[in-house]
Amino acid sequence: MASDPFATGAASRMETLRSKIAQELANVDFVLGYGRGFDPLHATPVTVRNEKDLDRLIFDATCVQNLATSLYGLRGKRLGVVVKGCDSRSIVQLLQERLWERENLVIFGLPCEGVLDLAKLRASMDIASVKEARVEGSPRDGLLRLKLAGDGGERVRDIETRGLLADKCLRCQHPNPLVYDHLIGPEIAPQGAEDDYADLAALEKLSTQERFDFWKRQMGRCIRCYACRNACPLCVCKHVCLADSREPHWLSAEATLQEKWLFQVMHALHLAGRCTECGECQRSCPMGIPILLLKRMMNRELKELFNYQAGVNLDAVPPLHTFLMEEDRIKDRGLLW
Amino acid sequence: MRIGVMVCHCGNNIAATVDCEAVAAAAREFPDVVYATDHMYACSDPGQGTIEKTIRELKLDGVVVASCSPRMHEVTFRRAVERAGLNRYMFEMANIREHVAWISLDRKRNTEKAIDLVRMAVEKLRYDRPLTAKSFEVQKRVLIIGAGVAGIQAALDCAEGGLDVVLVERKQSIGGVMSKLDKTFPTVDCSVCVLGPKMVDVGQHPRITLHALSEVEELSGYVGNFEVKIRKKTPFVDWTKCTGCGACLEKCPSRKVRDGHNEGICTTTAINIPFPQAIPKRAAIDATVCLRFTKGKCGVCQKICPADAVDYDLKDEVVTEKVGAVIAATGLDLFDHTKCGEYGGGRYPDVITSLQYERMLSASGPTAGHIKRPSDGREPKTVVFIACVGSRDRSVDRPYCSNFCCMYTAKQAILTRDHIPDSRAYVFYMDIRATGKGYEEFVRRAQEEYDVQYVRGRVAQIYPSTGPDGDQLVVRGADTLLGAQVEIKADLVVLAVGAESAKGAGALAEKLRISYDAYGFFLESHPKLRPVETNTVGVFLAGACQAPKDIPASVAQASAAAGKVLALLSKDKLESDPQIAQVQTIRCIGCGKCERTCPFGAIRMRELRDGSKRAEVVETVCQGCGICSVTCPVRAIQLAHFTDSQLLAEVNALCRTWDENTES
Repeated sequence: MASDPFATGAASRMETLRSKIAQELANVDFVLGYGRGFDPLHATPVTVRNEKDLDRLIFDATCVQNLATSLYGLRGKRLGVVVKGCDSRSIVQLLQERLWERENLVIFGLPCEGVLDLAKLRASMDIASVKEARVEGSPRDGLLRLKLAGDGGERVRDIETRGLLADKCLRCQHPNPLVYDHLIGPEIAPQGAEDDYADLAALEKLSTQERFDFWKRQMGRCIRCYACRNACPLCVCKHVCLADSREPHWLSAEATLQEKWLFQVMHALHLAGRCTECGECQRSCPMGIPILLLKRMMNRELKELFNYQAGVNLDAVPPLHTFLMEEDRIKDRGLLW
Repeated sequence: MRIGVMVCHCGNNIAATVDCEAVAAAAREFPDVVYATDHMYACSDPGQGTIEKTIRELKLDGVVVASCSPRMHEVTFRRAVERAGLNRYMFEMANIREHVAWISLDRKRNTEKAIDLVRMAVEKLRYDRPLTAKSFEVQKRVLIIGAGVAGIQAALDCAEGGLDVVLVERKQSIGGVMSKLDKTFPTVDCSVCVLGPKMVDVGQHPRITLHALSEVEELSGYVGNFEVKIRKKTPFVDWTKCTGCGACLEKCPSRKVRDGHNEGICTTTAINIPFPQAIPKRAAIDATVCLRFTKGKCGVCQKICPADAVDYDLKDEVVTEKVGAVIAATGLDLFDHTKCGEYGGGRYPDVITSLQYERMLSASGPTAGHIKRPSDGREPKTVVFIACVGSRDRSVDRPYCSNFCCMYTAKQAILTRDHIPDSRAYVFYMDIRATGKGYEEFVRRAQEEYDVQYVRGRVAQIYPSTGPDGDQLVVRGADTLLGAQVEIKADLVVLAVGAESAKGAGALAEKLRISYDAYGFFLESHPKLRPVETNTVGVFLAGACQAPKDIPASVAQASAAAGKVLALLSKDKLESDPQIAQVQTIRCIGCGKCERTCPFGAIRMRELRDGSKRAEVVETVCQGCGICSVTCPVRAIQLAHFTDSQLLAEVNALCRTWDENTES
């Protein structure tokens, strides 16, 4: 078994993960985990079907993907899945919505200290030149040591990981999986700052016209590739997505700003009270449109109206999935008089 | 598609501020519109005739009428298009009266908005599909909730009309507030003498099933086929054995129980029959005060009962009844005057409520019709009546007029002078509201023949007098006609407490799925044209549960509600509204969110042959509210006649301006 020199945390954690998965292999069709991608900075989902596949498993700060995204399309199977703390929230939400059966799922939970946002790295360098990459210490305060190929031969560059962490990791309150069958490694304390929605506040400081212009500019860049939709663990409409529907005919095939914008608004509204802010939509956007802002806006409203956060409590009923005559914080009766 | 548009002037209601001809001219340019005209009154016979004629001559597929609210005339126009051979749902209405003409005087902008609304209606109509109602059988039975005078009248009318009646009363006996009254205005006839025979009729009528000491726990189903769960609270007495002999009352050692029927001016026993004319005349034990239940001792009533009816182990029972319609007649409660510090806040025994005074006046009451001061039993010589206690008073959140206090106060003043000829009666009032038949004359009689002193003004304070007349109360108030302050030394003060909705009215309304106002009174469907209907089809209102009402008005509304129910259930089958949710099974992913959000329980999950689940709408239960439709993540549920495509077409029609001004 080749040890992975770039893994974060103790090598023993990978050993535990592999042995736990090995234990469960007989009970599942396959296990979804992370493997090394096409370069040292990218991870990729891998399926583990037998002992041999175990060698392909990795887990480090490059494991950005939310593997729960693949779950809905694999309904009817019995699966194992490797999740970080944030990813586990998607699973909680899927279970709450009865979109998966708990008994058909074996969850390998990994406490996580943060993942890298390659967009932040890309801003300062050409990542194609990276030959090797390794995180020294914890992603929270360690170093990313890169071996770069260049005209003058190989050189080493160190970058502080703090500045490269994904935004969601900076405000992470759930580094430990909220639902799991096997917890791999010790739980860690959340170190993320309380979410003050500073990003939304900054946007709301703009005048209505400025904000309108901002979104017009951003939405105009959308190419309607639907990567955001496909990467979303809770976009479960699949072949009946409204974006592709002709009856009802919400969206036409026209490449107008209006159609692009409407799609993004629909995506946000369909996630109201469901979105766990895993950030996969924004990460997968080839145009770098900050679409997570829309979802965060909805979540802030949900928090204010229903004091609800999606995907943190398996027993909770999402506020928009039930009917109450009277809501605590919505005084609709008063408006009449 | 061939669409016709008619723009209605509604006399001057619309035409005064909307250029109807211009709206019609603009409509001619809309897609699929082959004909557009304006008309003085679209709803009139010639107006409807024009619609029918045009449909036939121009072979129209659908019609848009721009006029008033659909609540007003949608049914009228649907019938008209149906007469001309179209499906009645191939019709759309644009509300350019309430939504345009009545809210702005700006003719130019009104006309633009009217054109927008007509464009939206046309765009929606282009996606309309013929819909067909289904018919279903009805239960020829009616549930009446509350057996005061309104409930009793409605029950008797329905039963006489041939319906089976399920009458539910929360209290031990039927009769309601009216059974507590001594005399009624303006005839001063004995209240229980006119009500009593009706109560007996209810008890004996073969078509009326009476559930006393019972409450509606749950109502499910829909018009024609409601199912109601009724909790029959245990009286701890087997009512099939009890003969109402009253032996238990005499021997019961627990004698300090507040007498609810007598408004607490005397006490009664833990096992009790509230009053001699009670229907059903059966004893019931109040377990909160009975020694057997509170201390575990006693058992006298069980020993003494000649019919062996007392059974301490009896439990509440829940019965289920199937009915086709419901009449809510839950009546009223009275304002709690202890909230009013200026009247003593309940501290002075000789400040009593009008209903307590009524019990005192009653020959069958605890004082056998003698007026006595609660404090010392002395006959009062000066009685002061204060009107509008908890009525027309914004400071206690009761801004409404309670309707009948002016009249019963006049009656009580007259009776006071009758009972005690050497007494003085004063009435502090704000205005006299005596609008019923014979009412004004009655108040005049009180003032002129009975010499009741009417003082126009509010009472600022009531306080015990000091000095030689120390047992009297000083009533200090303003006489606004004299412009002076007045002080009256009173032996007894009677507060004309206002009406409130019955306790628990809001919770019941929610069980019945009807609306209620901020004060708990049930909302009628239309204040003028549908005063006994609610917005839930098959649920009707009678009496003071809708608004404070006196006896004649309650009885009239009860008979009206009974008439409505009889008309409704005179048909063997009813038509269901086809504007309901429809599941496109091929889109449904079986997540069940619709099932969880449906407030009516109208969605159930159906299993397909491959074991997967799909949502299914129970057509007769669905009310077409659309919550499932917006909850469905895949839009597999569409509300017929209000599909996403239709709403989008309307939005797109409205947002054309945005469209045109925004670069892509």
